[in-house]
Amino acid sequence: MIKQYFTQDRLYYFKKTLSSPSDCFYEIRYREQGSVPLALITVFIFSVCYTMDKIFAGFIVNTVDPRDVNGLFDFAAIFLIVFLFSIGNWSITCLMGGEGRFKDILTVTGYSLIPLIITFIPAIIISNGLAANEDVFYFIILGFGLVWTAVLILIGIMTVHNYTLVKTFATLFLTFLAMFLIIFLALLLFDLLNQVIIFFENIYIELVARG
Amino acid sequence: MRRLLKQAALATALVIALSCAVPALAVSDIPYDSYIYNYRGYIEFTPAPYVPDGSVSGRTLGIGDFVSPQDVCVAPNGLIYVADTEYETSVIEITGDGEERKITGTGRIVVISEDMTRPVMEIHSFLNDGQIDTFKKPCGVTVSDRNLLYIADRDNNRIVILNEERTEAVQIVENPTSEMLPEGYVFFPEKVEVDYAERVYVTAKYMHQGIMVFASEGDFMSFFGTISVTTSFWQRLWRRFSTKAQRDRGNLFIATEFTGIDVDPAGFVYASCIDPAGEQAAFRLNPKGEDVIKKGENGNVGGDLDKYPYGPYAGASYIVDIIIRDKGIFSILDSQRGRIFTYDSEGNMLYTFGGLGVQTGTFKAPCAMAVLGDRILVLDADRRELMVFSETDYGRLINEAVGLRYDGNEKLAVALWEQVLVLNENLELANVGIGKAYLTEGNNKEAMKHLKLGMNRTYYSIAFKRYRNDLLKQNLGYILTAAIALSLGLYVWRTVKHKGEGKGDLLADD
Repeated sequence: MIKQYFTQDRLYYFKKTLSSPSDCFYEIRYREQGSVPLALITVFIFSVCYTMDKIFAGFIVNTVDPRDVNGLFDFAAIFLIVFLFSIGNWSITCLMGGEGRFKDILTVTGYSLIPLIITFIPAIIISNGLAANEDVFYFIILGFGLVWTAVLILIGIMTVHNYTLVKTFATLFLTFLAMFLIIFLALLLFDLLNQVIIFFENIYIELVARG
Repeated sequence: MRRLLKQAALATALVIALSCAVPALAVSDIPYDSYIYNYRGYIEFTPAPYVPDGSVSGRTLGIGDFVSPQDVCVAPNGLIYVADTEYETSVIEITGDGEERKITGTGRIVVISEDMTRPVMEIHSFLNDGQIDTFKKPCGVTVSDRNLLYIADRDNNRIVILNEERTEAVQIVENPTSEMLPEGYVFFPEKVEVDYAERVYVTAKYMHQGIMVFASEGDFMSFFGTISVTTSFWQRLWRRFSTKAQRDRGNLFIATEFTGIDVDPAGFVYASCIDPAGEQAAFRLNPKGEDVIKKGENGNVGGDLDKYPYGPYAGASYIVDIIIRDKGIFSILDSQRGRIFTYDSEGNMLYTFGGLGVQTGTFKAPCAMAVLGDRILVLDADRRELMVFSETDYGRLINEAVGLRYDGNEKLAVALWEQVLVLNENLELANVGIGKAYLTEGNNKEAMKHLKLGMNRTYYSIAFKRYRNDLLKQNLGYILTAAIALSLGLYVWRTVKHKGEGKGDLLADD
């Protein structure tokens, strides 16, 4: 059952994403070679790396207060952002003639985090051997991973939706707007729900107190 | 059942007896919390550096209560001078023909002995050109190296300089005239200080241009150490779009006044002011009048970093006085929350103590400070008392260690810092002190450990570089051997693997 998500081919395309993203994302979209569980595992590993960086990065580059590090919080936040991005992108591209399905977008986002994972680990190790004015190395490595990830996401979104570059940028911009809209609506919903709950709570208190 | 009850009672009694017997469990008698701000700006509680050691008031001295006393100073010979500002006084003058004439005044200067048990003298009046003269709200008092007493006689608009016997005015500084001063300027001196060259530094009410400096002959020389006014972008923008009428009615952007001054033996003038931003309330002015204070690791010499956004304690620290202690250490007094903050010569916070309240050792309206040996005196205008604080082991160790570092004896300071760490393990300053000493000694590993605990990245980096170089030098042979072996092994493995492989890629020739 689970094995079907981790077949030889799927693992192969997972690995190959780094070197030939266009081909791999094409296979993921049109030949069903993507794996959502694999993508989610990648996101999980990324969140672990992100927390590891906060804890184990060298003293020189690490300004995070170790008492503030919360792995579970980071995990939740990163998953939230990934899902928010995927939902936002899906809701925009649906309207703009994108061919990608939700699972493709999720897979692309997850796979695109691989460069950040593989740059975090050497960056953390190297940062422990750096002195004050050498910290650029750490930031260069991380920046490199970040740019790589951004390029992968761009190519991925472009490929799965069969978009031109300009249209990809336009949809990405709209995606961020959609993300803010979703956050805004979610907060609004929570607030209103809260007020409704308080309303019923007050009725209950009133009844109990007078009864 | 009875036995059970008996056992329970016995157990309870035992617990109570034990908890009374363990002194560490006893609640401390100190009526305030002591703390410092760490590298991240969080409050870290520390042992008390100074503890209340009684108080002195007009009543305990038997000379009648003080009335809103405003200033205290300790003379070089150890006597304590208190400006009892609003004490109503009257002097009977007997004129030549035997008639009695009553002269009234407001305020007296009380001189207290060094052990603070008895009044040495009360100065109600003095001879001014052969006439008996009194004070009118004297706000500031100081004693020069030549043992002359300088009194800022505020509502008489003058500074009175009394002779060694405190009976006669040797000089009166009044009506300062200069083209720098506005026409019809009225002089309201508040705090006064004298340096080694007998120059008189005065803070005056409504005088925003800086400290007024008078030459030893009593002529106004210049302003000193003006506080620059900074306006934020939003203030400027707001001002730009407001009409002239609005601008006239709005707040003026004027510099705050200096609230306290002190002069160190080297001639540097330390001044305090009220900074609403809470960033810099202390100034160290060089002889040119430029501010040369260092703001330390936290970039702040303005009292509390934590500004309490709301509530009765809200706002930045309201610094009303500054005193110079030994070895570049200085303390500032916050009347908003009744705290005394102490910094070293580099602007790092060493410790705080004091608080608002009604117990001995707390204040209602602290207004001035003075140093008496290893004790600190704080004058409270509202409680009409002179609060005395004596240093604890913790405070003494920090003072001495900072002093040794100031003199360049970092190595000697290590033993003291280690004792400080026993009392307060989290003190970053102590860790940095030890770390720097290890660094000069060449013990890089220990230096790294302590500098990391002290959150000092600059010096940690130096220690780390040296440690890394040593490590490389010692192990270069092994590292190179390992590298060669590894590359050889990799080469062999790859050739073997390539021969065995015949399978093509799934993505053929992409």
